[in-house]
Amino acid sequence: MKKIAYLLILVFGFGITGAFAQDNLSPERKQAVDSLALEKVRDLSKYISIIGNKETPWSEANRVIDRAEELFMQGSEMGVSSLNRTEINYYSVRNYFERLMRLNYNKVEIDWYNIEYVSDLQRQPDGTYVGVITIFQRFRGYDKEGKLVYQDTTKKDITVYVKRKETQIGGRLIGFWDVLLGDIRVKETTI
Amino acid sequence: MKHTLKFLTRLMMVFLITAIAVGGATSCKSKKKLAAEQAAAAYAKKVDQAKGDLNAIINRTSDWTVDEQRQRVADIRAENLDDPEVQKLITMAEKEVDFQQAELDRKAEEERLRKEEEARLMALRSEYEVFDNQFKAIAGASSVDQANQQIDVSLQNFSSPDVPVLIIISQVDGINDYDKPTTATQFLNYLKDVKKYEFQVESMKTDASGKVTELELLKKW
Repeated sequence: MKKIAYLLILVFGFGITGAFAQDNLSPERKQAVDSLALEKVRDLSKYISIIGNKETPWSEANRVIDRAEELFMQGSEMGVSSLNRTEINYYSVRNYFERLMRLNYNKVEIDWYNIEYVSDLQRQPDGTYVGVITIFQRFRGYDKEGKLVYQDTTKKDITVYVKRKETQIGGRLIGFWDVLLGDIRVKETTI
Repeated sequence: MKHTLKFLTRLMMVFLITAIAVGGATSCKSKKKLAAEQAAAAYAKKVDQAKGDLNAIINRTSDWTVDEQRQRVADIRAENLDDPEVQKLITMAEKEVDFQQAELDRKAEEERLRKEEEARLMALRSEYEVFDNQFKAIAGASSVDQANQQIDVSLQNFSSPDVPVLIIISQVDGINDYDKPTTATQFLNYLKDVKKYEFQVESMKTDASGKVTELELLKKW
């Protein structure tokens, strides 16, 4: 009986491996998908910078909030930390962007840098590729005299979901990669 | 005694005449034979030369052009060499020359089509460059207002602001991988937001009035 069980595991095990191998992307295509996910995070960093910028017209900021929100999976949350408190607050992404737009500084500078994978995109049984990208965010808030009143650097981890989808365009079936960002978790905050 | 001398003189004369007659006939016969031998050798040489040239044509080891090969085969045929092997080689060489000519014609046609395609793509490229330059201008605008003006100008080239924009992220093994499809308005605003244009127009569809109905871009990583 035990032998039969082992045999079944062996047979089905190889079957499953074979099925996955067929779905595996070539290194060149995988590279493009990896780059696309990184690009979406870079896009988000630009959007955050625009939304936080006090010189951005209100209508533009709202338009960019819509675009930025589209980058996320529904229900995703954004972690917010401060050097002035120990706890990390989590907001829905829409709420986070609206709060960012209304921050009580005269001028805000937000830069993201060192954007890279900490966990490569890995294919899940449902075909979704999941990975984690880490970023460093430098935040600077200035008062109306132009004096720097607050600054911090936060390391954040962003979960990335990539799934192959299809859509009809002009009578053509287009296979595309849908990249969606998940929760953004604060890892550490320093000066 | 006198009678004997006379007899000996006559005998000598007969001998001499016979010797001259026999000797002359033998010499004439040798000359004809020599000429025949020489003709046979020349013919054999001609046959050998013909075989050599025909084999060189068939095996493509000659330095001759296709026209020169065709001329050589025609010359050999005109010589009417009575040799079965030469006749067989002539047929084979003619086929080979015809084959080489067809190959040349095919290559010339391919080259003509390639140049035609190149010219067509060049024309398209220059048409696409107009769009690439417009998109670069939006990305490089110095202010939101300037970028919005550029977007308005660019949108006039589209049949509607919702025209689909497809972005190819990779082209491997004949498979196009795309980013999530977007629209003309959203794409142009995206360029304004990220302030960079790292794409190239790959293809576009237009309607009867020349307005773009579908745009395909290639992402430049």
